[in-house]
Amino acid sequence: MYPVRFDGSFAGWREAARHQLQRGLAPHQLSWEDGRQEADLFGQLNTIEPPAANERSVRVPRALLDQLERAARFRCNGRWALLYRILWRVAQGDHAAMMAGDADGSELHMRLKAVRREAHHLHAFLRFKPRDATAGGPELVAWHEPAHDILASASGHFAERLGRQTWMIATPDDGVYWDGENLHHINPCPPEWKQLAQGTDDRNEAMWLAYYGSTFNPARLNRSVLETNMPVRFWRNLPEGPMIPRLMSQARAGAQADGQAQAVSVRPGKRIQAEAEQVLPVRPPA
Amino acid sequence: MELIDKLTVLADAAKYDVSCASSGAPKRSSKGQSGMGATDGMGICHSFTPDGRCVALLKVLLTNFCLYDCQYCVNRRSSDVPRARFTPEEVVTLTLDFYRRNCISGLFLSSGIIRSADYTMEQLVRVAKLLREEHEFRGYIHLKTIPDASPELIAEAGRYADRLSVNIELPTESSLIRLAPEKSVAPIKLAMGTIRNGVEEASSEKRAPAFAPAGQSTQMIVGADATDDSTILHTAQSLYGDFRLKRVYYSAFSPIPQSPKSVPFEAPPLLREHRLYQADFLMRGYGFKASELLDGPGNLALDIDPKLAWALNNRQHFPVDLNRADVSLIARIPGIGVLSAQRLVALRRQKRIRFADVSRLRCALEKAKPFIVTQDYRPVQATRESLVIRQQLSEAPRQMGLW
Repeated sequence: MYPVRFDGSFAGWREAARHQLQRGLAPHQLSWEDGRQEADLFGQLNTIEPPAANERSVRVPRALLDQLERAARFRCNGRWALLYRILWRVAQGDHAAMMAGDADGSELHMRLKAVRREAHHLHAFLRFKPRDATAGGPELVAWHEPAHDILASASGHFAERLGRQTWMIATPDDGVYWDGENLHHINPCPPEWKQLAQGTDDRNEAMWLAYYGSTFNPARLNRSVLETNMPVRFWRNLPEGPMIPRLMSQARAGAQADGQAQAVSVRPGKRIQAEAEQVLPVRPPA
Repeated sequence: MELIDKLTVLADAAKYDVSCASSGAPKRSSKGQSGMGATDGMGICHSFTPDGRCVALLKVLLTNFCLYDCQYCVNRRSSDVPRARFTPEEVVTLTLDFYRRNCISGLFLSSGIIRSADYTMEQLVRVAKLLREEHEFRGYIHLKTIPDASPELIAEAGRYADRLSVNIELPTESSLIRLAPEKSVAPIKLAMGTIRNGVEEASSEKRAPAFAPAGQSTQMIVGADATDDSTILHTAQSLYGDFRLKRVYYSAFSPIPQSPKSVPFEAPPLLREHRLYQADFLMRGYGFKASELLDGPGNLALDIDPKLAWALNNRQHFPVDLNRADVSLIARIPGIGVLSAQRLVALRRQKRIRFADVSRLRCALEKAKPFIVTQDYRPVQATRESLVIRQQLSEAPRQMGLW
């Protein structure tokens, strides 16, 4: 097995993969080393020089490269081997390798879907905390833990939402900073960024929590739909996360009889005095 | 009253309106500009509450003071609930603050009827105008339209809002007379017609100002009266046709505190609401007619989904050969969706479809099996009676709620 070392980026892999294709090396002959894992034992044992590249050009559809680039954001062992196998098959004319009904293609589409979902999770479940930016630094900061490498490609979305406001997102791996005009992506994320994102206090969160508690309808408790749509791994970074178990147990303990939030039912009510005839809307005769 | 207390009351008062879509708006961006907010056609659910429903918009009433006495509504005038009223500026502040935090993608604003339909509508429009003009807010705005409001006010609302909605509430005039004495079908449909005209005028001329580009929707309450699913679905079908609605929402009647005797004390099974949404989806996305799903009076089956029910009643079309059939017929097979149907048709240009291919597309195989033929598979169930298949595929009855 020949080891292929590259910098771990898609551009680096693409360059390396083109080279291997030109050498005519089949997927099972290669092991991909992107610097994230220990070097492959068997790769080190292999001292034979691979065949030299010939100059034949490799042609694959543009759409395939787009798909491979997006699928490369999926974190897993063997991330690059599948991509090369599909590239190899398509380069040989086997276009089924790209399709969802194929064994390799279905794995590719599963990864594409997971990457798309994870970008969507970033857009949905990230929470910015406002901070006093007069002393410098971004106006909004957020801490997020994505499962795949989607931060760089998906965070431009927030520049569209927030206009000229400045913001920073820190993750356990990389980070992005929007200075009002340009997006800066840094990998790995600087420790000061992580500290700022996780350490900023939010004094006005109570308003959102009040809303969340009231818009919930305890008469319709449905835990499984909640967990399908908002995976539990995101709860700990959401301000409303700690409320969820409490709201569920309140609902189970009897508040389920009707839809009213507990915070509302404890307040005094008020009937409105009006005569039925007085309030009828005036309508032109039909 | 503190702002947080008003929010607590007015969010609780608004939650029985189930529409939460933030999709369908044209592409707008604030990149490099003052103000904030963006839309790109796709909706985003920023959170989910433990009832499984999504939080995409700040959904509140401007006020829950209401002169009307709709029996199914928690805010009816005879209801003994806490009352509150936001100023338009307060709604604006909350919207912008939640939006910056990425908690929401916009605002859904409705209101109890105060003074008159026109006065109430004016107040709603004022909030949208403040957001759009004073604060250059480009996020999503959904405004509830008050039936009986003047066409001029509806036209103004359409200039600021992405979506407008008029709730039909109950599908028949007789139910409205009994349960919502101040409402009537004619003015509701008149408002829907005004919105339809506005949308069509705006889209027919390139230079015309935008008008509710995400269209209009409505809501029907299920289980507050005796109306059956057949009436509900046929009503929905004619609303889709007559007024070009984007969505009809079905809201299972939710028991309210101090419920009047005119409405049930218990909620209908949530499964009934779910089946109505499935049937609605089949009408919008799969070309089913209401009469195909329910050809006479009655309700949709609860134990099986409406597509399976249709297939079992129409065995003459099955089994379907996935290597030959038209894509629209493949999409009618239980367990196979539109996307999978398109993928199967694309794949069969490359090779003959085999059973394992269908499995890799992650179709609901157990449901599809009795109805498909592939290169290497024919269903043994093809000759079996529908009743037997139904028993095999029916979903286990749910455990009853404790309360």
